[in-house]
Amino acid sequence: MPEKLTSRNLLNQLQTRHYTNAYAAKMKGQLVGWATSIFPQEFCETMGLTVVYPENHAAAVAAKRGALPLLEQAESEGYSVDLCSYARINLAYMKSQAAEIPIPLPDFILCCNNICNTLIKWYENIAAELNIPMILIDVPYNHGYEPTPAAIDYIKSEFGECIRQLEKITGQQFNQERFQEVMILSNENSRAWKRALDLNQAVPAPLNGFELFNYMSQMVCARGRQETGELLKLLIEELEEKIRLGKSCYEDGEKCRVMWDGIACWPHIKHNFKAFEKNGINIVCSSYPEAWVLLYEPGNLDELAKVYSMIGNNTCMEYQADKREREVKNFKLDGILFHVNRSCKVMDFMQYEQQRLVAARTDVSIMNFDGDQADPRNFAAAQFETRLEALMEIVAHNKSAKKSKEVTNNDPA
Amino acid sequence: MITAGVDIGSTSSKVVVLEEGEKILSKVIIPVGAGSSGPARAFEQSIREVNLSREDIKRVIATGYGRNTFTGADQQITEITCHARGVYELVPGVKTIIDIGGQDAKAIGIGKGGTVSNFIMNDKCAAGTGRFLEVMSRILEINIEDLADLAASAKNEISISNTCTVFAESEVISQLSTGTAREDVAAGIVQSVVGRVAGLVKRIGVQSEVVMTGGVCLNWMIIKVMEKELDVPVIASPMAQLTGALGAALLAFESAS
Amino acid sequence: MTQLKDLLSVLENVANNPAQVINKCLEEKRLMIGCAPEYCPEEIVYAAGMLPVGLWGGSTSIKNANLYFPAFACSLVQTTLELGMRGVYDRLAGIIVPAHCDHLKCFGQDWKVAVPQVRFIPLAHPINRKLEAAVEYLKSEYFRIKSVLEEIGGKPISDQALSEAIEIYNDHRKTLREFTTIARDYCTTITPSLRHNVIKSGYFMDKLEHTQLVNSLIRELKKAPPEEWQGKKVILTGIMAEPNEILDMFEDYGLAVAADDLAQESRQFRTDVPQGKDPLEGLARYWSCMEGCSLLYDPQKNRRFMLKTMAEESRADGVVACIMKFCEMEEFDYPIYKKTLEEAKIPLLYLELDLVTPSLEQVRTRIQSFAEMISRKR
Repeated sequence: MPEKLTSRNLLNQLQTRHYTNAYAAKMKGQLVGWATSIFPQEFCETMGLTVVYPENHAAAVAAKRGALPLLEQAESEGYSVDLCSYARINLAYMKSQAAEIPIPLPDFILCCNNICNTLIKWYENIAAELNIPMILIDVPYNHGYEPTPAAIDYIKSEFGECIRQLEKITGQQFNQERFQEVMILSNENSRAWKRALDLNQAVPAPLNGFELFNYMSQMVCARGRQETGELLKLLIEELEEKIRLGKSCYEDGEKCRVMWDGIACWPHIKHNFKAFEKNGINIVCSSYPEAWVLLYEPGNLDELAKVYSMIGNNTCMEYQADKREREVKNFKLDGILFHVNRSCKVMDFMQYEQQRLVAARTDVSIMNFDGDQADPRNFAAAQFETRLEALMEIVAHNKSAKKSKEVTNNDPA
Repeated sequence: MITAGVDIGSTSSKVVVLEEGEKILSKVIIPVGAGSSGPARAFEQSIREVNLSREDIKRVIATGYGRNTFTGADQQITEITCHARGVYELVPGVKTIIDIGGQDAKAIGIGKGGTVSNFIMNDKCAAGTGRFLEVMSRILEINIEDLADLAASAKNEISISNTCTVFAESEVISQLSTGTAREDVAAGIVQSVVGRVAGLVKRIGVQSEVVMTGGVCLNWMIIKVMEKELDVPVIASPMAQLTGALGAALLAFESAS
Repeated sequence: MTQLKDLLSVLENVANNPAQVINKCLEEKRLMIGCAPEYCPEEIVYAAGMLPVGLWGGSTSIKNANLYFPAFACSLVQTTLELGMRGVYDRLAGIIVPAHCDHLKCFGQDWKVAVPQVRFIPLAHPINRKLEAAVEYLKSEYFRIKSVLEEIGGKPISDQALSEAIEIYNDHRKTLREFTTIARDYCTTITPSLRHNVIKSGYFMDKLEHTQLVNSLIRELKKAPPEEWQGKKVILTGIMAEPNEILDMFEDYGLAVAADDLAQESRQFRTDVPQGKDPLEGLARYWSCMEGCSLLYDPQKNRRFMLKTMAEESRADGVVACIMKFCEMEEFDYPIYKKTLEEAKIPLLYLELDLVTPSLEQVRTRIQSFAEMISRKR
């Protein structure tokens, strides 16, 4: 009997296929695009275009410890070490194509700044260096709780412009019926993704949160596709089974439930994983994979504009604090570990206040550490381990304090 | 005509006294630099050695980190220009100069006639400078001069991934505490500094001949690793840390005549 | 001649002591609104009868702002927040903060919490600025800001007042353009730091008054024949050329400013607000007309060609990239125009600047080396 296909195996197959297909398409002379990770893929998916995601690629390169030569190459071309490491890796790759996992160079690029404005500068450089068209969907920063009607109108008009540009690049017409299908499929996948993430609310959590970072790749690269739905279905079945059996992802159970706030520290992910395991800490959720839950009414472009505009990084202080507060409660968190990510300014520069707000509203314990999403040089293992142990000590202290309080409260006297 | 060049670094003071822009009358190195009595002492010693007085020196040019604090000079010129001039005298075919100083690392492109065509210096952090080597040597409990020999005996060179001095310090300490051999750590330190500086050199473009100046070029291991990183031969300046002072003395001669 | 000196010292005094001007404003009971970098619709503030005050940080150490920012935020947002938290801006009736970059987005949100006594007035420009829909959207942002200012001032802002403000501002822009062109011929009198201060003083004065002073200055300058300049001339590009000491270093080493491409200086006045029936629309459209700034969407990177042309036309001997440490917007542009300038054989200096820990001696060495390099080259 053939071994049962696990979601993990399927994920690996799909990711490998994603990259080999892109290369094959390029070889056949088809157009290939590069896109930012939360670009409204609905448009290019409708056109049936092959698109790869430099952020995903840079993360994969970094996780395979291949970042340093590319980072140094970028620096020798004049890019400051202070710039986003994904950008530096990708801009160097664009010139040398020196990476273990190759991706084809783009014929056009798609940029949406719902994560940060750094992306715009990075993509401008690609467009200028390769002399190729750049499609920008700008979602103005939401200084209010949600986008203004004028902002929605502006974004919708950009959608129209995006379609016009795609038609011009491909020489093909945009098919509205297919668009509707893609939107329906994308929502189904987003719902399934949310379901999978939410299953980790169970105590003990069935999935090690670090796995979320891996499955996330599929949501980044193919959230409008059938096969992603199949993968998520398999994942959900596995998780439900584990919950039914009351199984934790750790043999000896989870001692502590923590949210990872920010992007993974890809070059050191194995180290991080081991450090958590050693301490019995489970990363049950993270702000990062959740960004790919994009739900709207298919066909409603106002909602499409809104959902792409309201990615965590593009929202105001209050919205972000509300979201974190909900997560602390839903996932029954003991702690939050904040990644002070040298690359990601937009996440870091509101983080200190976020920490204070969440601490004030909940009884969660908070710790932060210095790191970087892809530059291995901006992380110190010793610091990380010390911080983790400190977090454990604080959580343990708070738990026992809470317990003794409960005992006091239960005292009939 | 007699001229002098005084190069005041952050950790040492160097003086060259020159006759007719050709003959070196004296050269002095004192291992204390800017802000100390070192520069004045070095200067006095250099002229006393050849029985001269200040009046005999037609022109004095100060260079280096502390050039503006030395009152005995007629003019101040940066170490960039002085190194270029000094190296050009010693190695006329020079196209690229690498100087790792205590505070600054720099790469200098040389154009026609020994002029500077381009230069670049490290950013503010200490990675890739003499200061970084100094801090790391202290952790290894050795003299900075012995770092090369120690590194040369490495069997399994480790890589120091951090460039931030503070982080690198904790990384080195944790390597040592988990039993990594000191020579392997030393080799990692050398590699880290060279990697950073090589990045600077690549930014201006590597062109042979490549010459290294400054005290660090006495560290043969650094030269060797640099050659590997840049993939071209690297020559140590024959006058090592005196190169800047020589350049200053030459420039003093040229501007006085 | 004395009149020229007097004019220069008046402007310099304002640039270096904005508090005096601000106090005068308080005596006159005129409300003030802070305008954070880099592009604020000052005309709306002016039309409300208030004084727009430019806030571009300052050389100071960080004691409070590190409650909000890690060390790698640019010193413009760090020091502005620091000064705000120390109460330096308490007399302002509000602060407009555009969200041009990731640093500024967060700066605005942090300001709201850290400096609650100075009302936060947010602004998010459209980046896809060549689209007609962008003009509409920006108009709505400006309309909201106008309403906030009407509420603060307690009276409506008329279209006529807006149109007049635009005219005053365009006139100011024209005057500053003329000044920067003429300053090129008087490099001995108009030193790099005086040139900077003449422009900077405009951030703390009524633009009408500033225009008059600068016009008088131009007239006085023209009375003497153009000055012979023995030294070299450079172009400054970047966000700003501060801390102040660095411009004195240019002077020390015989470098004059041929032209600038700084956000704090020429980028503010090289384009005029288009005139039209609807003043708010004109202001919104202005954003679509500007070019050549790291904060303006530019997928062709035309800035590189603008810089090259600027260097050639102003006969500059080199370009100095004044890179605010941690400013990604500028840091991303640098490798692109570096290549263009290198191909054109125009010398380029990368000068990393920081208002918090300036390490001035290192900056001095770079400037002096660059001066030596371009002097010996030709």
